[in-house]
Amino acid sequence: MNIPIGWKYLAIFIPSVLGLIGLLVLIRFAWKKGTEYVTPRPTLSRPLSIGGAALGIVAALMPWATFVLNEGAYPDKSTLQFFDSPWAVSGFRLHTLLLSLVALAVVFAPIRKHRIHKALGWSLIGIALINAAFIAGNGGGFGAITSDGSSFAFGAVIGLVAGIALVFSGKAGPVEPIPHLSTDVSRVVAYAVLVVSFTALLLGVAMMLNAGGQGGVGNPYAGPIFLSLLAFFAGVLGALHAVGVTGWISRLSDKHKWFSIVVLLAVALGLPFTEAGTDYWMTTATNIGVYAATAIGLNIVVGLAGLLDLGYVAFLGIGAFVAANFSGAAAAKMGFELPFLVAVIIAAIVAGVFGAVVGSPTLRVRGDYLAIVTLAFGEIFKKSAQNDIGGLTGGANAIPGVPPINWFGLSFDKPLEIAGVKLPSGVMYYVLIIVLVALVMVVFANLKNSRIGRSWIAIREDEDAARAMGIKTGKAKILAFLIGATLAGVAGAVFAHKTSTVAYDSFQFIESVTLLAAVILGGMGSIPGAVLGAALLLVLPEKLREFADYRLILFGFALILIMRFRPQGLVPDKHRRAELANEGAEGVPIEELNLPDDTPGGAKAQVAR
Amino acid sequence: MATLLQQLINGLVLGGLIALIALGYTMVYGIIQLINFAHGEVFMVGGFASLATYSYFIPESWRSDWWVALPLMALGGALVAVILAVIMERFAYRPLRNAPRLAPLITALGVSVVLKEAVRLFYPGATAPVPFPRVFVDEQYTFEIFDGTITIGSTAILMIAVSVIGAVVLQTYITKSRMGRAMRATAQDPDTARLMGVNPNRTIVLTFVIGAALAGIAGVLYGIQITNVDTEVGFLYGIFAFTAAVLGGVGSIKGAVIGGFAIGLIKSLAGQYFPGGTQYDLVWIFVLLIVVLVFRPQGLFGEPERVRA
Amino acid sequence: MTATSNAPVLAASNVTMVFGGLTALKDVNIELHEGQILGLIGPNGAGKTTFFNCLTGLYTPTRGSVRLKGRTLPSDPAQVTVAGVARTFQNIRLFPSMTALENVLVGRHSRMKQGPIASLFHGPSFKKGEADARTRCLELLDFVGLSGLDDELARNLPYGDQRRLEIARALATDPAVLLLDEPTAGMNPQETEAARQLILSIRELGIAVVVIEHDTKFIFSLCDHVSVLVQGELLVEGSPEVVRGDPRVIEAYLGKPPEEVQAEVDAYAAESSAERTSIIEPIRDRRPNEGGQQ
Repeated sequence: MNIPIGWKYLAIFIPSVLGLIGLLVLIRFAWKKGTEYVTPRPTLSRPLSIGGAALGIVAALMPWATFVLNEGAYPDKSTLQFFDSPWAVSGFRLHTLLLSLVALAVVFAPIRKHRIHKALGWSLIGIALINAAFIAGNGGGFGAITSDGSSFAFGAVIGLVAGIALVFSGKAGPVEPIPHLSTDVSRVVAYAVLVVSFTALLLGVAMMLNAGGQGGVGNPYAGPIFLSLLAFFAGVLGALHAVGVTGWISRLSDKHKWFSIVVLLAVALGLPFTEAGTDYWMTTATNIGVYAATAIGLNIVVGLAGLLDLGYVAFLGIGAFVAANFSGAAAAKMGFELPFLVAVIIAAIVAGVFGAVVGSPTLRVRGDYLAIVTLAFGEIFKKSAQNDIGGLTGGANAIPGVPPINWFGLSFDKPLEIAGVKLPSGVMYYVLIIVLVALVMVVFANLKNSRIGRSWIAIREDEDAARAMGIKTGKAKILAFLIGATLAGVAGAVFAHKTSTVAYDSFQFIESVTLLAAVILGGMGSIPGAVLGAALLLVLPEKLREFADYRLILFGFALILIMRFRPQGLVPDKHRRAELANEGAEGVPIEELNLPDDTPGGAKAQVAR
Repeated sequence: MATLLQQLINGLVLGGLIALIALGYTMVYGIIQLINFAHGEVFMVGGFASLATYSYFIPESWRSDWWVALPLMALGGALVAVILAVIMERFAYRPLRNAPRLAPLITALGVSVVLKEAVRLFYPGATAPVPFPRVFVDEQYTFEIFDGTITIGSTAILMIAVSVIGAVVLQTYITKSRMGRAMRATAQDPDTARLMGVNPNRTIVLTFVIGAALAGIAGVLYGIQITNVDTEVGFLYGIFAFTAAVLGGVGSIKGAVIGGFAIGLIKSLAGQYFPGGTQYDLVWIFVLLIVVLVFRPQGLFGEPERVRA
Repeated sequence: MTATSNAPVLAASNVTMVFGGLTALKDVNIELHEGQILGLIGPNGAGKTTFFNCLTGLYTPTRGSVRLKGRTLPSDPAQVTVAGVARTFQNIRLFPSMTALENVLVGRHSRMKQGPIASLFHGPSFKKGEADARTRCLELLDFVGLSGLDDELARNLPYGDQRRLEIARALATDPAVLLLDEPTAGMNPQETEAARQLILSIRELGIAVVVIEHDTKFIFSLCDHVSVLVQGELLVEGSPEVVRGDPRVIEAYLGKPPEEVQAEVDAYAAESSAERTSIIEPIRDRRPNEGGQQ
């Protein structure tokens, strides 16, 4: 049976929207009697939100209606099936319709509305801007609303107005506190909630990766489709955050830490079984994993200890070159092959030693100067690798032909078949990197919640006071560098085998900046942040291939804008949030976020913490 | 012996260039303790802007007269650099003046990436080095010395002269003029300076402007000396200049100039005499940077760190 | 009322500190016994802070020595803390973005033993150590009167509570000697009185306390023993009664005859209880890692 894609998406979306509304109602009744839950709304707010939602519905149905009425150039598009024509593919109609319906439902639901409407409004604005920009860029006129002569029927402008109306309706009122839902629920309920939410997360990620397929000349619509979906998800997450659900789930997972880790691992390992289980996405996901693991290592140095490292990619490089030299590749300096695990350990040790060396100036050098020292070390590494120092790096020829990892006769670059299910090639690398990232996360979390981690944070906050508390600051800082570098070294070893060619130019200054950006974008000191940051920085370029030239410049703008408007990152750490955003402990205000300006229109969306 | 002399001269020429850029670093750091990472890119943009002035604004008939073309090009380069610096200060750095220290440094990184990429993407042909016209008199003076000959180009002499004159004028301005006093006051204590009627914002902008103008002029000089401009040089010379500023002692004009010449000499001598030759000349500079920072963080002429409150 | 034993806990003998040609301290001698509260007063620039820095390992005295229980103090602040001298700062220096409990746990750092490997694996002994530290730190928060505020970020605490938290953090290092640098600066009379009570109860724990203060009234009502520093030299020392009545102190420190001073003190006390209010100044956003070395 060949189900049209549109229905498949609907089958996921409609239940989830109904579920969301149901959830809102449930929360309403679960709220303790006697506490005032709904804050009084100012007069402007209600008409604005009803009007905005109605306009959004109009925007969604506009193309359909105009095609029906005009019987114009594309009579075959006069259908409610959402996903069968080029521009409709972006999901504009579906996303807009669903968001507007939820907005409308919320107006009449007995819950706090302002934050929800703001989130939905920003999401609508984002979707409208993305689509309008892409249409305009392709000669369709700016968000053209069909008139007789025009060939495109589109409601982008109406959608934009709808979004703005919703945002204003949200801003018309006071900032409501986010409900604090109790985690005193039975174990069964907690487990069920965690399984459901992590599975939803997996499906969401798979959908995003798959949305529009891989970008490039063959599929110029990958960008808008992906970004629209991103904006849509951001809106949904923002709404969920507004009713306290995301916070609740995160507290639940804190409470049931081990269960969450197991489920999360299982879910991550489930990705190859979804529609994103292609060679292409396995490779991308592995690269994300390598970057994420390295970024978490960098997060120890930058996020916890507060030491800026601008040459960090060198440790990834050292790990990769060490592994390559012990891999038995023809160009390797060592004429023999070591088992992968042994090579990993050697790579980690070597990288760690270099980490300690690079970190040793911290004994004397502080702050900005340290950043420059690390940059200098990074450049020394690059120059040395470029000149094939000691015959270890192959110089400009690189070290090609690093064989894939082979365990028990299972070569990691071959496709796999388990119980009749065909899995893409590269899936084993994916599994390996998932395990690695999980391990690195545990290392980070355990260190952070220990005497050592506290001493790092204390040094970051006030080095003199830390010393007065008996912390040997020099030792602690070198330890941070050492551990961070070790983690990068391990990631580098996997990287060497996965890419099969290890060249010095994979480890340049801009890669260090990318890693730093992943940490900052995600949120300094936060683990999910580093993974999210790495994922965004690697997935966006894949989806926006037609803008490949502009990748770096957008990236530069993103750095500037994040520092200006959301220095605490997308998923801030509890501590950093307070420090960088000047908020209260409860983190009351939720700000509209300027997503990294990777779209010509500037995808504005709201993202939950 | 002649080789040594020749390398010394090459080093001085390079050093003059580095010194001009280093002045911008040292002044900005001195006043707001920001490593303006994008300063190297401002220098690169200056080079391209002067090239654009030549290619698009100077009529063909004026191009052969260097005393017309060169000042106009320098003006064009400096003007664009200055505008850029003002925008950068106003919209990227000023909003972060009271932010945690990492924030402006990361912003500076972002600005630097944006500038480099903007030129690479939007300047015609800038994906590869772009040839620079030989507008200045192109004489090579050759001397017979001991066991060989050494050569000095006219542009080389210009380069050294401009950097020394620039530094002297700047030093005089800062020590003697009213705005110079305001600068030093703001560097010492912005709040007190404000109470004394100094407008810190204006002073800081002025600092950026002076630094950028010097970098823009350095861009022109680089162009006529090397005869091409390249988007890659911003980062490289930015690092050289920063190293020079640190070596001389951040905040010190004299230090920046001497540091600049020292870096130039080290680069050309290391390229000639050190193991690895020109392949590793950069490495030696970085090693020097690290050693200086570790053993004499205040640099050769800098004052020791102020006592911290 | 002083609980003296024979050997002093902290003894500074002939401490002399010369900066360049300037003698900031000259032959300062101090003895501190277990359970004693020593007040250190003196006009601005008398060398109080310099002396304090000698006690905390920030400076190494040019001549003379500081001994804790007979052992010379190391010249590194971290090791001084490990040896048993804890301090607070004149301008509060908490870790603003850590919670109150975490701040105290940082104070516990040198008394905990888990190394990197144990921290990596969180084994049973790690967990036990961590739980013990937590219990101890919660007790300390309770002791200084901050129970229930353990999960609050330090930067969000009111000024007086920040001072208390700083004391709790210092106590977490299990000190033999606690050095308080102007503990009542910016406090109103109620808060000052509460601070006095707290310091007295710290003495009950058997910890010797050194207090630097400008508020002479506070010092005279709190301390067992008062030392007056003037121009780097110890001018007078003794019980509060002795020091208060000493004409040299009054002349050098206050520049006025005793009767006038007494009148002023009385007037001040009357006025202060009526209208002095606390100067609330939250922790300033300090920039971590200022460039350069110290």
